[in-house]
Amino acid sequence: MALDPGVILNNLDYLLWGRAPEGEIGGLLLSVIMALWAGVLSILIGAPLGVAGWLHPTLARRLLFPLADIIRAVPLLFLIFWFYFLIPLLVGGTAPGAVMVVVALTAFNTASVMYLVVAGFRALPAGQSEAAHALGFTPGQIVRRILAPQALPNILPSALGLGVMLIKDTSLAFIVNVPELTTVAGQVNGRLQVYPAEIFLTVGALYFLVCGALALLAGRFNRKRGVRR
Amino acid sequence: MSLDLQAVATGLPALWLAQGFLTSLAVTVIGAAVAFLLGGLLLALRLTPWRAASGFATAAIEVIRNTPLLVQLLFWYFAVYRLLPDTVRSWIGQDHGFGRLPQGPSLLSAEFLVAAFGLGVFFSAYIAEELRSGLAAVPEGQAEAARALGFSPLAGLLYIRLPQALANAWQPMIGQTLNILKNSTLASGIGLAETAYQVRQIESYNAHALEAFAVGTLFYLASGFGLARVLARLAPRNPGGGR
Repeated sequence: MALDPGVILNNLDYLLWGRAPEGEIGGLLLSVIMALWAGVLSILIGAPLGVAGWLHPTLARRLLFPLADIIRAVPLLFLIFWFYFLIPLLVGGTAPGAVMVVVALTAFNTASVMYLVVAGFRALPAGQSEAAHALGFTPGQIVRRILAPQALPNILPSALGLGVMLIKDTSLAFIVNVPELTTVAGQVNGRLQVYPAEIFLTVGALYFLVCGALALLAGRFNRKRGVRR
Repeated sequence: MSLDLQAVATGLPALWLAQGFLTSLAVTVIGAAVAFLLGGLLLALRLTPWRAASGFATAAIEVIRNTPLLVQLLFWYFAVYRLLPDTVRSWIGQDHGFGRLPQGPSLLSAEFLVAAFGLGVFFSAYIAEELRSGLAAVPEGQAEAARALGFSPLAGLLYIRLPQALANAWQPMIGQTLNILKNSTLASGIGLAETAYQVRQIESYNAHALEAFAVGTLFYLASGFGLARVLARLAPRNPGGGR
């Protein structure tokens, strides 16, 4: 099997940013943008939910965990299907496919972030919040000043792991034809027909660079934590 | 907006859904079998004292875990499958009578074989890692006691540590098996007519998307729940007597 590097050089710009010069961002750039949006949104929603779940174990047990479990028990592709169907009904118009995928990724990832935050807070010694309480901290201050700074380093490696999953999960947009990296790779493959090995090895390498860098960073933080203990 | 379940419970859509469910379950079971076989193999390679073998296994696990499953499926389907000899491919393409599920979908098709293999390869990396953490959680004293009792290192691993590792890793491995079920939906990307594929087919056939999505979603919730129950019942008791 002889590989032809010329094919990749001719299509690399399309794989990297799609038709960005014409104003339609695609390729790896769109994958990363979608993952970033979903990541930021799911932290903004999931972290407060996690804190709420830690503060109110009953709320967590009765409502938050069952909800999160259902969301995570449904295949991500079906969440994407659901949002494709429901969002136009709710907002009364169509939204771009990339937005639907980001919403589905956010829903899925929010559940994971919430679990992560609850676990991170529960892992801290109970004495921390009790001492802060005894010193007259308000619950809000306890969370922000005492618990969050201690939980964050423990949560960080797993959060980066969720980031790796997010990047990989953006590839599902292929099935609903949003022009991120996997979709444009499929287009190039469909157009050229005879270079699938070159195309999908390159695309795999591009994902590996991004995900591998995040995984490496997670490993760093994990080791740093190990040394300190 | 009302739910018209008749639209998916009768006629062609009902047949398609039944075929989709069977295909999803079949590709999950065979994919999981491949994943456990290859996962065991990857772990074995990692544990060998031979540097090249353990290095290969580590590298393979990293590459598999840091690239999307869908890209791997497309790679196997478009780039690797066509490297098979023509005779093999045309044999797979023929109608054999056997390898067919009662409702019609064939287990002997390029899409099914690639999907089961691709799922198996992808999740073998996760299975290997779960087993490795299960092994790491076996107390050091177990290996020492085995050695003191005259077990060779290999026998100590096989008869003392691995059975405990398997018990430790059982729960996470149930989670991975459920992931195989859920991620089998990605095989619709290479044209395997599993549940997600059939649901979209119904959507374009009679526009009853809501019903099709609902039934498909329920299928995954119910089969995931059932699968978890069955696997939990099969859980090995920790032979070390630990938790």
